[in-house]
Amino acid sequence: MLSNIGNFLLFLNVFLSFLVIFYSFQNLKTSQNKIFKNIYQINLFQCTSILICFLTLISAFLTSDFSLLSVYQNSHSLKPTFYKISGTWGNHEGSLLLWVIILTIFSFLFLILNKKHPKNYRLYTLIIQNFLILGFLFFILFNSNPFSIITPVPNEGLGLNPILQDPALAIHPPLLYIGFVGSSIYFSSAIASMITNYSDKMFATSIKSWVLVSWAFQTLGILVGSIWAYYELGWGGFWFWDPVENASLLPWFAMTALFHSLLVLEKRNALYFWVIILCLLTFILSVTGTFLVRSGILNSVHTFANDPSRGIYILIFLSMMIIGSIYFLFTKYKPNNYRINSNSKETFVLINNWFMMFYLITVLLGTLYPIFTDVISKNKISVGPPFYNTVIIPIVVIFLFLMAIGPQTKWIKNKFENIKELLVITAGAVLINFTIIFFFKSYSFISNLIIISSIFLIISSLFDFFKKEKINLARIISHLSFGFLILFIGLNHNFSVEKDFNLKLGETKQMENYEFFLQDLELNQHKNFKAVVGKLKVSNLLTNERRILKPEIRIYDNPQTLTYETSIQTNFFRDYYLTMSNIDRSDYYNIKFQKKPLMIWIWISAFMISIGGFLSTFRNAKYN
Amino acid sequence: MKFKFAFLIFFILFNFNSSISKEIINELEIHKNLRCLVCQGQSISDSNSDFALTLKSVVKDLIDEGKTEDEIYSFLSDKYGDWILYKPKFNLENFTLWVFPYIVLIIGGFIIIFLIKKRSKNV
Repeated sequence: MLSNIGNFLLFLNVFLSFLVIFYSFQNLKTSQNKIFKNIYQINLFQCTSILICFLTLISAFLTSDFSLLSVYQNSHSLKPTFYKISGTWGNHEGSLLLWVIILTIFSFLFLILNKKHPKNYRLYTLIIQNFLILGFLFFILFNSNPFSIITPVPNEGLGLNPILQDPALAIHPPLLYIGFVGSSIYFSSAIASMITNYSDKMFATSIKSWVLVSWAFQTLGILVGSIWAYYELGWGGFWFWDPVENASLLPWFAMTALFHSLLVLEKRNALYFWVIILCLLTFILSVTGTFLVRSGILNSVHTFANDPSRGIYILIFLSMMIIGSIYFLFTKYKPNNYRINSNSKETFVLINNWFMMFYLITVLLGTLYPIFTDVISKNKISVGPPFYNTVIIPIVVIFLFLMAIGPQTKWIKNKFENIKELLVITAGAVLINFTIIFFFKSYSFISNLIIISSIFLIISSLFDFFKKEKINLARIISHLSFGFLILFIGLNHNFSVEKDFNLKLGETKQMENYEFFLQDLELNQHKNFKAVVGKLKVSNLLTNERRILKPEIRIYDNPQTLTYETSIQTNFFRDYYLTMSNIDRSDYYNIKFQKKPLMIWIWISAFMISIGGFLSTFRNAKYN
Repeated sequence: MKFKFAFLIFFILFNFNSSISKEIINELEIHKNLRCLVCQGQSISDSNSDFALTLKSVVKDLIDEGKTEDEIYSFLSDKYGDWILYKPKFNLENFTLWVFPYIVLIIGGFIIIFLIKKRSKNV
């Protein structure tokens, strides 16, 4: 029943997309400068029907309708209601439906919110966006249909992977997809802009809000994902340079480069084709990321669901997008005349883009390289955190300095009047760095540089905040928070304490100034799992601080899995992070304890970066 | 001004020498650089599989024998293949991986210089 409704609505959406494309072409032929009313209506109808389609799927998950294959594979009748709902987009098929929803809603919003831009430009954007929608709808219908039925109807579902049953992971995909899929709208409008020759600064204003809002959501999505990885995966880190994490980072770099370049296009009417390339690149990278993740071509912690046939479909779709983009770029490219002075804000924006491209290519190369070596020489290699840290971190130092100076420069022609001030700030940053070393402990050369450069960025951003009469608050917040983010990551990295040892019930162990006592083990029965809960007393002998941490070993029934739940004690200065795992054929438990200083500030800084993005969106929407 | 600047540089260099901590072999850091071959995308530091436990004790033995970090990595990659190392070796096969990012960086720099030279003349 639900399957029929769902399939009907999917087909209806295919029909509506064709209808939008048809009427748009009709409208293009007319000379009147207005968009047909029925295009608005069909578009609204599209949004409604795809939303109802999604609600149908949610209700199938809620009522545990196991006649649907996707419900059978990803749900279970005993699962808590919240995770039944989040299970809807926690799998491949459901998440694709979420893609189509975002594609459709963004296309509708773009249509109604950009009324002052020319008709043809808006119509072509709509047409290309609907081709993208069709591409994904066909993918859903012919390869990954969440409404496929299974006979005979099973009595019980297979259940959702327990590590996905988590509040952070429930909101992580929607946030990330708004970023990923939101970038489709400026992919479409970039092509529309080339077709209709709508290439001046008005084009920049028409997409600016969209770039900013998708960037802000992408940032939030990445943040929530790494918070999840921090407490769920149990290794105490928050970024592993895992292929799937990289896939979310690649479009982020392109977007960051894009909205900086957009400033140049908006203010100086220059760099038009570079902006176009970045618009196209962002969405292409989003789809590439999806391809890498869903095809299962890469080995990753995140490979929950993959299947080669999906990969082939996405690959064809991706190639068509790339070929189309390149075709339009070559046929529409024309050199234009503009001036850039070596010492101007324009140059600094170019420098920002230069670094972003470096990060992007490093991460892309690192992610794909194992595939190359595997194909070429059958030699499997791993590219992990040490590679990225070695290649990227030294460059970040220079980047942070330039990031501090760039915003202070003027458009067209700049003069450095504040060299003295920069020297004072450098000296201040160096002094703070040595103060930290003096009171705590010394760290490596590169850590010194990272901490000095991030403090430099922080101080200069603060100066900007208090000095200028007319400030761009959004920019300052994002730059300042980025400085803090790098500073806290640097300090956290250098001042973390890590202990790894075995304990049995009732035993006490002392390591340096920490004492650990395994007080108690409890067996708890929950709705869909049982848990062994350890009660561990951690005492810091220096500060006389005592804390009880309760790590768990969980045994889930459906599917049968063992997971280790971290116990984390957070305050503003540090996190205590503890995991416990059983050792086979022994009554000892392996304990991993970490003290992670300033952990919460890393999350707060990253959150503030995205707040800067949202503020900037509002500001931009207000003025345009 | 020049004097102050020179003093600043001297001050920085002087302090760096005393502030940089010496690199000591850190067993836990080595664990983080080794892939747990039987797990999904985990290092042996994060895993409690039998494989990870065995490998941890192998690493401990090698450190006790007085092997350096690099010697430990090459010993393990001879035995298990390069797949085990999270930091790919710098060799002919991985040359592109290690060098290409910097080539991009250099070329990018030249493009910007070239662009600005051209654009600042052309009125």
